[in-house]
Amino acid sequence: MKRFLSSMIDGRGFDIGLVSLPLAFLLTLSGLPLLYNIVMSFQEVDMFSLGSFWRPFVGLKNYRDLFAQPETWPILANTATFVAASIAGQFLVGFGLALFFWTSFPGASWLRGLFLVSWVMPGLVVGAIWNWILSGDFGVLNFILRETGLIDGNIFWRSDPGFSLWAVIIANIWLGTSFNMILLSVGLSAIPRDLYEASELDGANVWQRFWTITLPMMRSSIGAIMALGLIFTLQQFDLFAAITSGGPNNASNVTQYWAWDLSFRQYDFAKGATISVIMIAFVMVASVVYVRSTRHEVRG
Amino acid sequence: MTAQIELTNVNKYYGAYHALKDIELSIRKGSFTALVGPSGCGKSTLLRSLAGLENISSGTLKIAGEVMNAVPPRKRDVAMVFQSYALYPHMTVEENLTYSLRIKGVAKAERKKAANEVAAVTGLTHLLGRYPRELSGGQRQRVAMSRAIIRHPKAFLFDEPLSNLDAALRVHMRKEIRALHDRLGATSVYVTHDQVEAMTMADHVVIMRDGVIEQQGSPLELYDRPANKFVAGFIGSPAMNFLPAIGGQDGRSIILDLGLKQTIALGRTVQPGQALSIGLRPEHIELAAPGEGILSAPVALVESTGATCFLTMATTPELSVVFNGRSVARAGDRAGLNFVPGSMHLFDAETERRLPG
Repeated sequence: MKRFLSSMIDGRGFDIGLVSLPLAFLLTLSGLPLLYNIVMSFQEVDMFSLGSFWRPFVGLKNYRDLFAQPETWPILANTATFVAASIAGQFLVGFGLALFFWTSFPGASWLRGLFLVSWVMPGLVVGAIWNWILSGDFGVLNFILRETGLIDGNIFWRSDPGFSLWAVIIANIWLGTSFNMILLSVGLSAIPRDLYEASELDGANVWQRFWTITLPMMRSSIGAIMALGLIFTLQQFDLFAAITSGGPNNASNVTQYWAWDLSFRQYDFAKGATISVIMIAFVMVASVVYVRSTRHEVRG
Repeated sequence: MTAQIELTNVNKYYGAYHALKDIELSIRKGSFTALVGPSGCGKSTLLRSLAGLENISSGTLKIAGEVMNAVPPRKRDVAMVFQSYALYPHMTVEENLTYSLRIKGVAKAERKKAANEVAAVTGLTHLLGRYPRELSGGQRQRVAMSRAIIRHPKAFLFDEPLSNLDAALRVHMRKEIRALHDRLGATSVYVTHDQVEAMTMADHVVIMRDGVIEQQGSPLELYDRPANKFVAGFIGSPAMNFLPAIGGQDGRSIILDLGLKQTIALGRTVQPGQALSIGLRPEHIELAAPGEGILSAPVALVESTGATCFLTMATTPELSVVFNGRSVARAGDRAGLNFVPGSMHLFDAETERRLPG
């Protein structure tokens, strides 16, 4: 007992104690629900068995049922479109802005900080604002497109099946761009100046410097931001709730919104859990990419 | 002798700060020129101006006869070795070496051949596949130099390339760089704050302070005839002694003031009563038996490295003496001192300039 106490005060016991507290926290609040979710996807769950843990085991039935539903594949495709377009948009605009602020004109860092405001905003508030911007009758986006002659009639962004997913994508790009920009700015500022001077003396012009120095030196930052982007876009729920609610007729529905809809509106907890498990697989892949890319940072 | 680099009346301002003041410098083709001075003297700014990494505010800068004032660095055809080496961390040694050729669009096979040739000269052949992070400091230094050599540039610019190496390696690389320079017949400009490096490596030494060239010439010229007290004190290790004195009434002697006054006859004329500063190198003071010599003083400190002996004399100001061999005098003893004839440097105490003649 005495040895245990002294090791708690100044030995390995103290280290283990420090680590075990957050680990216990993680396990209870994230690990167990995750496992419970996976278990649930192999069980038959209804309103009456909701309160018990030991429910009939049904094997892969939930998965088979899910993929037999006609809306499953379109929703998975929507999710892929949403993730790819959001990440691409956030990354390209974010990288562009990061490069822009990197030129360090007067007030650059101040203005760059201001951009973070969009990331701090709650998704529901962002959704509400974009509802006005995207509004079919009096929205400012339609006004701009119409006045510049890009469209003839109004686009009903939120209720037109061809546009509703893109309405959420546009809002999501706006929401995530500043986070991309900040992370990429950090990556850019970590590149030593003298590398550019050396390559300039070696005869490289601006484009060649970008392709041979900036991009390769940013590899780990880009890998990290892509992986985080995948995780964040798969988490994006508020915007769907605020802008389209997945409609019309699932035209803008994605897995994360659908999982919530199945579980908590249709009370089909088993299917909700099943679709979540499929998402876990994707996020795991992204996490591995993220961990690997931050580990393989290039250091001079 | 043609000038490879020529600067005429060059000035550089950073806002109100005047970094380079009326620089006049002509660097002979094939020469090894050292820019030396304390930190903040403008030597790095001058080098970066040659490279085009800084733009000069006024004056003319010519490289190989062409005015380069506004030419961007990539079109100047000069190579630079950075203090940090600035190796591309995401490229192997071979890719680092051939980067400039790749930019130029040279075919891969030819690039490989060029890399092998240079690596053979600099002893990097077995390291071509490694990344910079896998190399030691000396090896990185070699890669940085090879990257410059492979281009056959009009001039090599070195920005304190040895300051990140340990003392032993520094001495070794000093010789290696100089040997490489001779073999390539290149024109080199070398920035350093270490006067020993400048003296041992260069044919032409340029001493700078506060953006001004204080003096330039061959290393021995600077050692033998420093133009002012700053140059005299900067060149030589240990540093030159400066003793206050005034011109004697007969105009052919000086009265040294080392706590007590001492008259010393000169082989030249001085103005009677003129305030002077006498420069005397530690190696030009010889020890004599106590009571003999020009003056006699107590020894404050004896430091011996075995081969060389450093004495500090308890005078005001302190005198340092250096000689080969061992000291018979110990701290606290009195010793006689003699000055090597003709070794005294006379400076005006006020302007700090060397007295003419």
